[in-house]
Amino acid sequence: MSFTEWIFLLGGLAVVGPLIAHLLAKPRYRRLPFTMLRFLHSGQIESHSRRKLRDLLILLLRCAIIVLIAMLFARPLLHIRLKPSESRSVYYLGLDNSTSMAYSERSGSYFDKLKDSAVDYIRSAENNALFNIYAFASENWMQGLSKEQALAEVKGLETEPGNANVGDFLSGLNRISQAEHKNDEVSVLVLSDFTPNTFRQFVNVAEPAAVDKIDYEPIVSSQPVSNAAIADAHVVGVVEGKLTINAAVVNYGQVEQNRRLMARTEASQSDPIDVSLSGNQRKNYLLKIDIGAIGRQPSILPVELNLSDGDGLSADDTFYLAVFIPGHEDVNILITGDSEHRLFLLKTALDTLSRTNSYDTLRIKQVLVDDLSPSDLDWANVVVSSTITDHLGNMASEIESFIKAGGRFVCFVTEAIAPEAAKQLLQRDVLAALPGRCIRERTYIQSKPYNSKISGVDHIAERSLSNYRIDKILIKGCFECQQHPDARLIWEFQDGPGFIYLKHLDSGTSILVNTSVDDSLGSLTKSSASVALCRYLLGENHQIDEYCFTCDERISLPISDWSRADTGQKEFWVETCDGRNRRASVAESFLLVPEPAGIGWVKTIGKPTLYAGVNLPQGETDMTKPSASELAGIMDRVFKTGSERIVSEAEVLHDKKRRPLWKMFAWMIILLLLAEPSVANRLKR
Amino acid sequence: MAHSRKYLDPVFLSKLGNMDLVARCAVEGFFAGLHPSPFHGFSVEYSDHREYHAGDELKFVDWKVFGRSDKLYIKQFQQETNTTAYILLDSSKSMSFASDGKVSKMDYGSYLAAALSYLMLSQSDSTALILFAEKVTKHIPPRSKRTHLNIILTALQYNRPAGQTNLAGVLHTIAETTKRRGIVILISDLLDDEADIFQGLAHLKFLKHDVIVFHTMDHQELNLDYEGLIQFEDLETKVKMRAFPQSLREGYRQRVAEFLDDIEKTTGNSGIDYCLLDTSEPLDRALVAYLSKRKRMM
Repeated sequence: MSFTEWIFLLGGLAVVGPLIAHLLAKPRYRRLPFTMLRFLHSGQIESHSRRKLRDLLILLLRCAIIVLIAMLFARPLLHIRLKPSESRSVYYLGLDNSTSMAYSERSGSYFDKLKDSAVDYIRSAENNALFNIYAFASENWMQGLSKEQALAEVKGLETEPGNANVGDFLSGLNRISQAEHKNDEVSVLVLSDFTPNTFRQFVNVAEPAAVDKIDYEPIVSSQPVSNAAIADAHVVGVVEGKLTINAAVVNYGQVEQNRRLMARTEASQSDPIDVSLSGNQRKNYLLKIDIGAIGRQPSILPVELNLSDGDGLSADDTFYLAVFIPGHEDVNILITGDSEHRLFLLKTALDTLSRTNSYDTLRIKQVLVDDLSPSDLDWANVVVSSTITDHLGNMASEIESFIKAGGRFVCFVTEAIAPEAAKQLLQRDVLAALPGRCIRERTYIQSKPYNSKISGVDHIAERSLSNYRIDKILIKGCFECQQHPDARLIWEFQDGPGFIYLKHLDSGTSILVNTSVDDSLGSLTKSSASVALCRYLLGENHQIDEYCFTCDERISLPISDWSRADTGQKEFWVETCDGRNRRASVAESFLLVPEPAGIGWVKTIGKPTLYAGVNLPQGETDMTKPSASELAGIMDRVFKTGSERIVSEAEVLHDKKRRPLWKMFAWMIILLLLAEPSVANRLKR
Repeated sequence: MAHSRKYLDPVFLSKLGNMDLVARCAVEGFFAGLHPSPFHGFSVEYSDHREYHAGDELKFVDWKVFGRSDKLYIKQFQQETNTTAYILLDSSKSMSFASDGKVSKMDYGSYLAAALSYLMLSQSDSTALILFAEKVTKHIPPRSKRTHLNIILTALQYNRPAGQTNLAGVLHTIAETTKRRGIVILISDLLDDEADIFQGLAHLKFLKHDVIVFHTMDHQELNLDYEGLIQFEDLETKVKMRAFPQSLREGYRQRVAEFLDDIEKTTGNSGIDYCLLDTSEPLDRALVAYLSKRKRMM
């Protein structure tokens, strides 16, 4: 028998308490003068001895209860030795085939050494042994293999891009050994280079695995490691037709690296940069690559960053970066309202926005609503109206045509609203909601939108509005709005009514902002959130972006208006990194690719052409060698062998070789607790 | 309890304090339950006439006969009350036992002795009182005068239990010192060697005494109805003993029953009247026992 938490056994010292109490306690009795003692005498001797027996029994019972409780907390385990004929040898091999194992030196690659060691290990096993092999990077189990099958599997194993997954190996080991090899002798072999990433996973293991034998071998070089890698890269911007990229290069080894770094697209390449790094040094380099003038159509540019050959591992010398280049667009914004001073602050905000926009040119024109003519609508891409007047109602059909043609109609409301005109606009599907009764109550806007995944608004500006604390802006009133059946409520006031309603009409968009009765439009446009609000309402901002993932991430590419408008597709065929074609579905406004299948490019087949760069996780090829003592300590903790091993609750319940005794102890305590008073009373007679 | 029987209740009697009153209450209470006049027919009963001789008391001359025959005849009566009663009251320390602070065996015995004395002296029997423990501590010789009652009652009132029991020795002593045979009434808890007691009683019986043994026992002595851990201390020997009575009760009762059976059988075989008295019970059983004995003697 052994104890998992033996420290609790010290609690058994509490038996001293009842012992002292027994020794110090004096029996409580009543004095009584009596006459017939000679008739008591023979019985008295019996009673006295009984009393002593009772006291002793009760003392023993109480001591037993305390000791059993202490043993219960110490989690006792009964070890049952199985007959040799009942058990057989089962070997679990955890083989690291992550990218770092592809590192090669003169004597061969790490992975070749790993395979040699694994083969030797398998050959040394008994002929009837059973093998379960797990490849850390491939994340798949090969179970129930004979010796010959195991040898064949190991020889056919290849490295794969990606991290080693240690957690799955340990959980699978526990699961399989408990389900299928409860009575067998379980031995484990772990072969890995124990890079910092892998080592960290072993350190973070929460639930150790109980095995009979553990072997591990760090596959590392006896020589200093020579390996540099492009760890990360980001776009800085586009200046004068040149795309600037900031690349982080790291020397993961101990040998000084003198290499050349360059960036390349299909059309051009950057000037090479000399890279010089001492051991374990990290430096950032700016690469400039000519991409020509930005056209009207946005596009995604695949950029490949390369480090010249010269170390033991080439897989981390290339970095794949897909850069979204927004197209250039002129946006004509027509501001209309019943008075100029009402539009002043709104115009100021739009002016500010036009100055900060890098790619789009915003042209702003202002007319009074009664002067609004169809020609104004022809000129505008966006119409912003501060209110709804009868004249606007009269132009309902023109506005409908304007929206259907791809225009954006943003309408604020005030007390001066013309109800009939609003109804006309609603009937024409122009308004997203019909303003009704005026609510003259102070209110606040919610800090975040009610619906954040909706297309047609700018989601970066949405975050800005939260940061500008739009929820702190006091709104002096609003309208009860009847939502159009096709419209969606995207933002709410804190006490319930809708704040912003959005409705798509063909390729255009209509937005109703349920601002206020008095000067709430002013409150909004005077606030620090005004520019962000304008940006939010004007739709998606065209910004430079990059699509760069690691091989263990799920790829999701944003499908913006420009790409979906062309196709309307719900599903795309994509070519993944291994060159195979796979289906990728569109969810909300994102294209979801199930798995990248390696490192390199994931791209859509056909139009629009979307790219995603897939790279190794940062630090995967960090070849820093583990300390032998640290590794030994961690492996001792992760794999528990013999009587010292910690057995988890789930394991205890199923492992017949180490039968838990806590239930038995608990029942004994309960029985003793029940017996104690009855024994005491029984012996009093 | 009937109104008259109240006066037989030892608890009631213990509240009276005055021993004379106690005796009167007990006896009159007892007879009130039997018949209205207890003092008729016992002391004198007409038997025959004889001729008057000089020196005869004139009060016994039958004047009606003289008137008819001019001859002096004396009425002759059968003498019934010339018995001597020796009341032996055990005054050892063990007699002071009283469970639950009620009436002690000593008090009970005293009430009984008082009642019997009252009854006997009322019948003109000579009554003696002998108090004893290890030896005789008080000896009031037999007298038949009514005033003798006061002497007995006073002795009873001021009697205090002390010393150990030496019943056998005392019985032998009394047997040797009493010259006139009579009724020996022993009131005791009989806590002495049984064989010795029987020898003493046999000695008295041998001397033609009629012996009545009133064995006074406390209710707890008979039943041992105590609970919990108790340290018993012997009233006479001061021996201490700690025990749970509930665990001993069965055996104790059995041994006490054997003891009482033994006494009853032995006394029965010897022609000794034996009456076991529980101090929680009224005195009438004792008085009935005495009167039945007295009747048999006539």
